[in-house]
Amino acid sequence: MSRSSPHLRLEQLVRHYAGAAAPAVDRISLDLPRGALLALLGPSGCGKTTTLRMIAGLEKPESGRILVGGRDVTALPPHKRHMGVVFQSYALFPHMTSVGNVAFGLEMQGVARAERGPRALAALELVGLSGFAQRKPRQLSGGQQQRVALARALAIEPDLLLLDEPLSALDAKLREGVRDEIRALQQRLGTTAVFVTHDQTEALAMADLVAVMNAGKVEQLAAPEEIFERPATRFVATFVGRAARIQGRLEAGGVLRTEGGAALRTHSSLAAGPVEAFLRPHRVRLLAPGEAAPTGMANVLDATLARRVYTGEIVALEANTPAGVITAELHAGTDGLWRELQPGSPMRLAFRDTDLLVFPAP
Amino acid sequence: MKPTLALRLLACVGYLVLLSPAALVLLISFSAGDFLTFPPPGFSTRWYVALAGNSVLMSALGTSAILAAVVAVVALLVGGPAAYAIARLEFPGRGVLAALLTAPLLLPTLVLGLALLLVLQPLGLAATWPGLVLGHCLVAIPFAVRIMTTAFAGVPKELEAAAWTLGATPFQAALRITLPNAAPGAIAAGVLTFLVSFDETVISLFLVGPRLTTLPVEMFRYAEHTTDPLIAALAMTLIAFAALMVLLVERLMGFSNAMGRE
Amino acid sequence: MIGWLLALPALGVMGLAFLWPLAMLFRISLNRTTETGAMEVAVTGESYTRLLGDEFTWELIGNTLGLSGTSAAIAVAMALPVALMIRAASPRWRGLLALLAIAPLLVSGTARLVGWMAILGDQGMINVVLRWVGLTDAPIRMINNWTGVRVGLMESLMPYAVLVLLAGLGRLDSRLEEAAATLGANRFRTFIRVTLPLAAPALLAAWLLTLVLGISAFITPRLMGGGRVFVLATEIYNLALESVDWPAAAAMAMLLLGGLILLMLLRGCVGWLQGKRA
Repeated sequence: MSRSSPHLRLEQLVRHYAGAAAPAVDRISLDLPRGALLALLGPSGCGKTTTLRMIAGLEKPESGRILVGGRDVTALPPHKRHMGVVFQSYALFPHMTSVGNVAFGLEMQGVARAERGPRALAALELVGLSGFAQRKPRQLSGGQQQRVALARALAIEPDLLLLDEPLSALDAKLREGVRDEIRALQQRLGTTAVFVTHDQTEALAMADLVAVMNAGKVEQLAAPEEIFERPATRFVATFVGRAARIQGRLEAGGVLRTEGGAALRTHSSLAAGPVEAFLRPHRVRLLAPGEAAPTGMANVLDATLARRVYTGEIVALEANTPAGVITAELHAGTDGLWRELQPGSPMRLAFRDTDLLVFPAP
Repeated sequence: MKPTLALRLLACVGYLVLLSPAALVLLISFSAGDFLTFPPPGFSTRWYVALAGNSVLMSALGTSAILAAVVAVVALLVGGPAAYAIARLEFPGRGVLAALLTAPLLLPTLVLGLALLLVLQPLGLAATWPGLVLGHCLVAIPFAVRIMTTAFAGVPKELEAAAWTLGATPFQAALRITLPNAAPGAIAAGVLTFLVSFDETVISLFLVGPRLTTLPVEMFRYAEHTTDPLIAALAMTLIAFAALMVLLVERLMGFSNAMGRE
Repeated sequence: MIGWLLALPALGVMGLAFLWPLAMLFRISLNRTTETGAMEVAVTGESYTRLLGDEFTWELIGNTLGLSGTSAAIAVAMALPVALMIRAASPRWRGLLALLAIAPLLVSGTARLVGWMAILGDQGMINVVLRWVGLTDAPIRMINNWTGVRVGLMESLMPYAVLVLLAGLGRLDSRLEEAAATLGANRFRTFIRVTLPLAAPALLAAWLLTLVLGISAFITPRLMGGGRVFVLATEIYNLALESVDWPAAAAMAMLLLGGLILLMLLRGCVGWLQGKRA
């Protein structure tokens, strides 16, 4: 097995649910290198959890293959796959203590009795719970339960760590901390991992690779920056991050002409015809009166302010333009120009031709 | 909406009807008189003493207790795996299996008892231990299956899935994870099947003989011919026993849960 | 597959104690009873024709339906306020009230009937009170006749009626009653016009179940009837254990089973129709 061969490979996985017309998972294929963290991101019902459960062996694909380290595991039952799974509900065994939960996995892996205790305690220490070894799950907080589940999954030194919405049951306040802890632990141990989430921030912040899923298919598989900045499809552009939508026709030379009469430069190589473009608010710059557009900012629009939403760090300016409603987000502290603007004030907005994400109109 | 006075009164009448027989049994059982008269001419424990001295009833009590214990164990061992299959596994014919295993509860015990007699008598199994155990299992197993199905279904499926991913075989996961978490239900099922067998009268009427007889049958026959406070003392003893058992089950899992839907 | 395998022991016991005996019951109902009362192996419908040609059988069927129909109706009527009360109670009391209502299910039937004897007997509570108040001179006979059987049966059916009503009423939205009350309907009118129609399906389901149970009842008619009350169940017992006429007992048991299965199908249809309407 060469270094470059993927640690996890999914080939053309298909799964239908009884009574549903469309497949829950529709010919999914992807490769994941050793030590990487993959996020399966998508709206509910997109097939991400089904995909995870198929990798774990908890559901059988109708066709396709699953390979781990070059070995075909498609036909293996879950208990022979050697994967650590953190369930959304954590699925801690209520009749066992924290250390009992962790030791159960070690016992099932055939670890000698004398070794189980110390190794289970070590796993709990890894997640910072060494003081809670003798507690039953119901005596632990949600965050602690989550960490016991993580310790239990990691203790068996799995070939693959699978996490199903691991943060969804936690308080918003806890989420960020646990997110960073999981990521740090995964990197330190070098475990290859897959996690399912519907939260784009979680996916972008934690993963090496993000697979954006919709209707049972992978729309795009790429690094977080790539997903955000160069979305491959219209769905990815709208699902990940916010964007203003600009409708119009693409003309020769990549010029987008809107119904309101604006002509915008784009980087698109699409054929002429009706298109939709997306513009992310943080890409839009507010120009001072008389200020020339900075070099590279090929598009300048005259606009009137419709609404101003101040949220402390960020101020969002919603403006009517010949290209439709466009939102600009500015750092409230560093960029002071917005303070003089009131609804109805004229203003000018600038952005690059590459900032317009252009797709054929649906 | 708050219940009206009329509703409260009618409900009280309902409860009166439901509970007065047991209350009267309690009162009469301490009677000093010779008949089921009201009010008792005096109070004593003479009928409890007489009960303890009645060798027919006492030996029937012993038989019933042993029988009920055996039936409860058999019903759990035989019904448990079936209940697990119904609650946990997906396989063709699961609904048919569940219906088949609870069907005897739908038919009159009188018909079941008669049918058993017609089969067991020619085999020489009527009025024998195996015959009685088989007859009682017929009603105990459906109970055990129903209660244990509820108990198993109450344990999250994810727990077993988690155990599998940790390397436990399906058998290990069922035994080490699901079973301990369904234990209160299993104990409740054991207690209730014990009671079902201990109180079973009609099927037993067909299957007992002069040398092997159960307490409910003897009590029924006694009540057919004699009406003295001895029968009240016996009835009271049984009620107290049943109440104790129900309390135990209520503590373990909630009685209404255990009964499932009728 | 593994499912059926796990159920194999249970299926074995059921086959041995349920399916085989039921098959034999049918088979023996086709045997012949000779003049001397001995059983002769045959395949004949003689037992059935003999039973159905006998006026006594039809009287028994009438008795059985009359007894169980009325007892079931009274049981449901008395169970309704109990069920409504349980539903209206605060969660703290609900469990206890429900437990009290269905606790009789776990008390041996014979024991409860002994209690009724002490209430309804000539020297029982009711007669003593009536005489003490001066309303009667001689005791009113309430046991060893249909009254005693009806009361005992009604009480033994009530817990089942409460259970079915609780299940059915659970779905009944109490906000509708509150809405009726805010619209100005008084308590009684709310009950008649809103609660009762909404509860009707549950009442019907409860009556059908208790009817089936009442038809099957044996201990109550036997003990409370004192040998003067004859229904199908007591007659099957007499034929089997006292006359030892197995073919006739089996045939009558088959008739009883057939009738019950028809009723249960009817119950299923009613449930299905209600489910469709809901």
